[in-house]
Amino acid sequence: MKNLLRRASPPSKNNFAMKKQNCRTNPTNEITVRSDYLNNSEGLSCEINTSISVRLVRAVTSPVPFFFSLKNSSFEKTISMAGCSFRAIWILTPHHSVAFSRTFPVVERRWRSACARDGEVETQAPLPSDLEVAAAFTDRKQREGSAHGFGIRVASSTPGSDSWVDDPVTRHIITLHINREEAEGYMLWPVIVHTSGNYYILVLPLVEPKKVREYRKLYQRNNCGGSVKEHDDLSSLLLSLPCITGAFMVAHAIGDLIAGETSDPEVVATSSSSAVGGLLDTLTGSIGIGVAPRPKPTSVPILASASSAATLMGSTLVDSSRTMTKPIDKDLLRGFISGSMPYGTPVDLNQNNIAAIRTTGFGSADPPPADLRQPAWKPYLYRGRQRVLLMTQETINAALYDREDIPDSFSISGQINCRAELEGLPDVQLPLIGVKPAKVKMLSVHQSAQYSDHGEDKQAIVFSPPVGSFVLARYQVSHATNPAPVKGFYQLSLVSEDGGQFLFRLTLMEGYKSPYCMDFCTIIMPFPRRRILSVDGTPSVGTVSMTERSIEWKIVTSGRGISGKTIDATFSGTVRFHPRVVNKSLSVSLSKSVLGCTAAEDSDEERESSNNSVNVEDVLMEKLNRDLEAVDLEEPLCWRAFNYAKVSFKITGGTFSGMTIDPKSVSIYPVVKAPVEYSMQVTSGDYILWNTLARSPHAAVPKDLC
Amino acid sequence: MPLTPFTIPQIALSDQNLVLSPPSDVNLREIRRVLAFLLDRPRDLTPGAISVLTSALVDIADALEDCVPAVSALLKVNFSSLLSSHNPFLSHSILSLYRHFSEAFNEYDIGKVAYRLQLSASDTGQKLIFRLLALHWLFGSTLLTSQVSSLTSLPGFYPQVFDPLAVKAKKLDAISVSASEGDGAVSLLEDGLVCISYFRWLPGWSTETLVAFRAMHKLLIGVMPHDGSDNGPGRTRLGSLMESTIFADLENVLIHLALEHHPLVPVIATFISRLLQCETHSPIGSRFLQTLDRCLIPNLKPGYGLSFYFPLLEKISENETVAPKGVLELLKRHMVCLTDEHGPDTGHRSWSQGSRVLSICRVMLKKHKGSQIFRPLSLLLAFTCQNFPDLEVRDNARIYLRMLACIPGKKLRQTLSIGEQKSGLAPAPLPASLIDVPPHPSPDLKKSTGIASYIHLERLKPPLVKQSWFLPVQGSVPALSNGSGPAEGGIMDIVTSVAPSSPDESNKTDSSKVAYQKEASRVMDPNTALLLRVLRTHFGCIPDYRVMPGIKIRIPCLLRFESDPFIRTWGFESCDEQTLPALYAIKITFSTLSKYGKIPSCRVPFLLGDLLKSDLAIVAVGQGNDESIEHSNFAKVFLELQPEDPMPGLIDIFINANTATEQVVSGFLRPVTIGIEDMFLKAILPPNVSDMWVSRYYSDLFDTLWEACGSSVNIGRETFPLNGGKGAVSINGKQSVKFLEVPEDVLINAVERHLAGFVVRVAGASLVKVVQQNRVIENIVWDEKEEEEDDLDVGPSGDDFSAENALVAYSREESELDVEYTQAEMESNSNDRSLAIVDKKKSVGNICVLIFLPPRYHLLFLMEIGYGSTMVRMRTDHWPCLAYVDEYLEALF
Repeated sequence: MKNLLRRASPPSKNNFAMKKQNCRTNPTNEITVRSDYLNNSEGLSCEINTSISVRLVRAVTSPVPFFFSLKNSSFEKTISMAGCSFRAIWILTPHHSVAFSRTFPVVERRWRSACARDGEVETQAPLPSDLEVAAAFTDRKQREGSAHGFGIRVASSTPGSDSWVDDPVTRHIITLHINREEAEGYMLWPVIVHTSGNYYILVLPLVEPKKVREYRKLYQRNNCGGSVKEHDDLSSLLLSLPCITGAFMVAHAIGDLIAGETSDPEVVATSSSSAVGGLLDTLTGSIGIGVAPRPKPTSVPILASASSAATLMGSTLVDSSRTMTKPIDKDLLRGFISGSMPYGTPVDLNQNNIAAIRTTGFGSADPPPADLRQPAWKPYLYRGRQRVLLMTQETINAALYDREDIPDSFSISGQINCRAELEGLPDVQLPLIGVKPAKVKMLSVHQSAQYSDHGEDKQAIVFSPPVGSFVLARYQVSHATNPAPVKGFYQLSLVSEDGGQFLFRLTLMEGYKSPYCMDFCTIIMPFPRRRILSVDGTPSVGTVSMTERSIEWKIVTSGRGISGKTIDATFSGTVRFHPRVVNKSLSVSLSKSVLGCTAAEDSDEERESSNNSVNVEDVLMEKLNRDLEAVDLEEPLCWRAFNYAKVSFKITGGTFSGMTIDPKSVSIYPVVKAPVEYSMQVTSGDYILWNTLARSPHAAVPKDLC
Repeated sequence: MPLTPFTIPQIALSDQNLVLSPPSDVNLREIRRVLAFLLDRPRDLTPGAISVLTSALVDIADALEDCVPAVSALLKVNFSSLLSSHNPFLSHSILSLYRHFSEAFNEYDIGKVAYRLQLSASDTGQKLIFRLLALHWLFGSTLLTSQVSSLTSLPGFYPQVFDPLAVKAKKLDAISVSASEGDGAVSLLEDGLVCISYFRWLPGWSTETLVAFRAMHKLLIGVMPHDGSDNGPGRTRLGSLMESTIFADLENVLIHLALEHHPLVPVIATFISRLLQCETHSPIGSRFLQTLDRCLIPNLKPGYGLSFYFPLLEKISENETVAPKGVLELLKRHMVCLTDEHGPDTGHRSWSQGSRVLSICRVMLKKHKGSQIFRPLSLLLAFTCQNFPDLEVRDNARIYLRMLACIPGKKLRQTLSIGEQKSGLAPAPLPASLIDVPPHPSPDLKKSTGIASYIHLERLKPPLVKQSWFLPVQGSVPALSNGSGPAEGGIMDIVTSVAPSSPDESNKTDSSKVAYQKEASRVMDPNTALLLRVLRTHFGCIPDYRVMPGIKIRIPCLLRFESDPFIRTWGFESCDEQTLPALYAIKITFSTLSKYGKIPSCRVPFLLGDLLKSDLAIVAVGQGNDESIEHSNFAKVFLELQPEDPMPGLIDIFINANTATEQVVSGFLRPVTIGIEDMFLKAILPPNVSDMWVSRYYSDLFDTLWEACGSSVNIGRETFPLNGGKGAVSINGKQSVKFLEVPEDVLINAVERHLAGFVVRVAGASLVKVVQQNRVIENIVWDEKEEEEDDLDVGPSGDDFSAENALVAYSREESELDVEYTQAEMESNSNDRSLAIVDKKKSVGNICVLIFLPPRYHLLFLMEIGYGSTMVRMRTDHWPCLAYVDEYLEALF
């Protein structure tokens, strides 16, 4: 405890400066002081239940001056609502009952005083109860068609609904109408919605009442919708509210927590002797107490981009996995919330940091460095064997058409994952090779890093690594130096309503030499709207299996990766489906809600179109398309409307873009001898072979890229 | 008691308003040190802390701007590198610094920020919401937005195949905005739309479709944003927008979509109605509808496929700025097509399509002024209610037709919108106003005085004789109506003998007369008896108008009115130049001093004003058999007279009508003239005369009447009962001659033109030849063999009569006739003429004309046609008519 207190109070010199800063003077001689800590006794009782959180807060925010807000003081008038605080967090089950809720009285008090200052009487209503939130959420779902809503204005939208604002972001930033029997109802905005593991996470950040008013104007506007050119539009509102972005960060952090996902990126150690663990392992290893070291995995196989790609496919292929709901570990959640956002203000959302502080605290073994500033995001310093693990991960999204009128399109996004197990607070310089030829665009780097671009092949990233695995940089490549790892075409011709012939002709790993190695390659032909009866045909390579809704062709199976050779694979055959069962009710109800019209002429349309079309396939597609549902705005396209084959593969030993890191030229300051291990892998994202014989989605390529 | 740190200066705790002195140098130095301390550390803070720090710094730097300049520059140095962090929260915090201290950043910096945001929007590794937010931040700042157009050339804003639709939508926004400046906007947009081009064949409710139409909408309103408080730029830009290529290109896109991809039609309708509902952009929506009406409707084909277009047709119908003609004509063709294609298995489809067409008609009825839609809509409804295979549709069409014809515009709209009142929403006002009979609007006398100058009821065929000399009767204003015309008394003598004033009396007289007449006929010689029998048969066919419906004369007239003076008087509000004023529920009543019986009043449900522009021709009267739908810009009205005395006369006309604004138009119109020729009818044919004997019957009847009117001695006291058995008449003949100095061909032409129906016999070979050649007069007795006797000036008819019928020799009577003719001739014509006739030996032939004058009189012409002149001998049992006939004959040429 003594130790903690010592840590909690910054050096006295700084402390003094802060006190001086407490009073802010401006030319109009107003003084603004504020405090979230002392103003609110009711908040204290629940917040300061662990000294650790206080310590963390101090550690994180120590350079920030404390402003004190004084009750009954005229100075309150100038309180700024900037910054990021949350009034409440709710977690709703799939059935729209509140599974968890947390309100922050400190923030609520600020909200109310702001309302009083602005003369907003109606918004001073107390926060809704859990039941009211659940009812309001259900109500909105009914009004807006789904839990997230339409997102853009449809025929059934009315003023006073989110879709009226006509922006996709309203699927994520929603309005709740709280209806009260005994009193006036009111609207709650902005409520951030994030879905994770079937739970809806709702976060209500604190914004100035006038911003709520501005939004209300937008969403009750009586004209046909805003344009970017109008200054009072949603965009400028969102730009002026960083707390919304903060709320999303929190929502995602909570979402990861309740879904049991870690946000750690994958880092693969190439030498089998070395072990890679999480932050906790590092800590426990170094401190040597309590928790026995877990079995060391060679990789932590969760990747943000990969998971998003999986969701894309999941919606088309597997529906059953999404219905499972894991119960919430409320203790864990409470601990996380009070640790990461004391008093409703987020300080550090790193799950590992919070968990580590919670479980281990700070021991005498890790005193703060005397001469260096320890960053707030690195509460612990690493101690142990030093090494640097680097990994480049690239994901290829490709649309292969094999048509003259549409060029194939590739987009490669990559990231550099890093795990620098280095003692102290060193700086690491990481030169990048092949940036220019690959036309790499650096999208973002870690907070601790700086990207310097000094001409031809002199690009480097300098960073001071945090503890544990992290994504050092993300980039996008518009022009890859390597050929496509899987080339060829897929043709499917529906010869009758219940059957079709297909043909694949593919070339794998052409132009790739060792050490490139294809770990696996699988092709899936999904038929989400048909039930497959049988598949005939034998591929030249690999095995074929069939499920009810898809055909899977394993060309290269994992464990038997191919390296240094080219594979030609062909597969032709026929597929038969069960007879189609028309289900009109869904499409009709959708068309009603979206278009505001009935599809009363269905029978007419059917006959009419069958008269007009000559091609059997067109007729079939058109018939099928009539039952299509509208997809969510999160989807890139209506997958079900197309015939395609999706290629999944993984290639190790190199990058697709050609951009690499030379492990030997990684320099560390202060100089230490630490081995640098570097691995590379390329995985497929949406690697789609569109049916050459049918319509397929594509996008225009800007002229300067042609 | 709140907890407060002891280090807080007391001054901050007091409630009084404090007046602090400006910071001293020492203060400022301290403050600078603190700032330097803070600015040195952003990299060490967590994103959350940086957010708090930046917001605090914004406040501090604001306050210190005067005392400590260059704070913002310091901020830039220390924070801008954090912008490239992939923590969105961090980026946003830094952006808020940019927003507050924009002057510290030059264009290059701003451009870099914009570029970075655009890159993060394309970052597929980033979560969707943060990609969206990045785009919002980019658009949210005016500084950054200005960079967007320069960034357009960059690939960043072209949506990619696998971008989520939400991102595609936002990226399309960017394209729209930057594109709206230049001409290539639509091509840029179309390039952008390629990424969701499959919306064209996906169902209309697909998300892709929504995104595509949203992009089009954004492009439009990007060119012309809502003006908000300052209404200057928006209004003025409207015109230029409509003329711009962007607009024309978009119109083409829409028309193309509607034609090629009919599942999108409802979406197009929704798109347009969204514009229509907006105050600023409703003219654009209307313009789209007009274009569709012009370019799409003519290209649509009737048939079952048309049902796709109903949503659009509904929108066009709803819009008052679009002339409904095109849609209605298309729908009419559609209904014809449906009717034609109706078969045993199309019952349901006919019903559903028919009902939808009717619902569009209903919209038309509600939204458009009756004047615009009346003709095409009534044709459509009339066709439907007569021919459509589905009973319900037929019934409904009939109801709509009835409503269209009978209920004036405003009331009709109210009536139609009753059902649409939502039950929960205060149903009281509308129905109540309908249930309560509104006070009848009193006619505006001032406005009604001059209506005769622009509302006209005119005869379809004007009378030949402008009867100017019966002016005493023409004073037909109500004040004079009590007085009876002087000519009236003179006519009464015959009528009174036939028609006693009371029914009882007439019964008695009738029975006595019948007895007397039977008595009298017994003493007749057989020839006379034959004559009398013919006359009895003839008169027995003439209805006695006192006890049964008399013989009626229908005179077709046209009712029309001039739009210009009407609008000037009645202040008709028209939305465009094409709209014409209309009259509703017109009632026309007639009154006259002449003895024409009771003239039934006429009703015209609806009448449109004359076209304002002369280039539009008057539309021909429709051929529908229901009178109420025969309308265009005039209405056909029939004057129905039941003359009791065959005299020319004047008919006064009083009109009562409603305007579209529920004003009442009432007053007298110019009277209609009735000429003597209006009274000319063919003699009634007895029912037992077979077709082949018709001409012979008429010929015989002519001879008999000729005889009867001439030899008043023989049958002067004889009475002939009329049909109905309650009245009888006697014949009191008079005769006259008229010499017409016109060439024979002119006369024949005139007879053929005006009297063709009444000619019963033509005699004389050469005349017969001419008349037969003309083929105007047919089905009469042709008498060619009397050529020789044509030489005789006098009495050929008598000879004809005797020769043909071998009834009796009329030598004495002929001589008597001769004398009488000569006398009459002497009386009415000059001696010179008669001498001239005598000189004219050679005659071409004779034409016998038998005219029936209702209610029971006759007028007979025997035209002796010579070369260069003609002698018309007239006999009648109603002598007053001779005076008019004289003028009539002169007016023939």
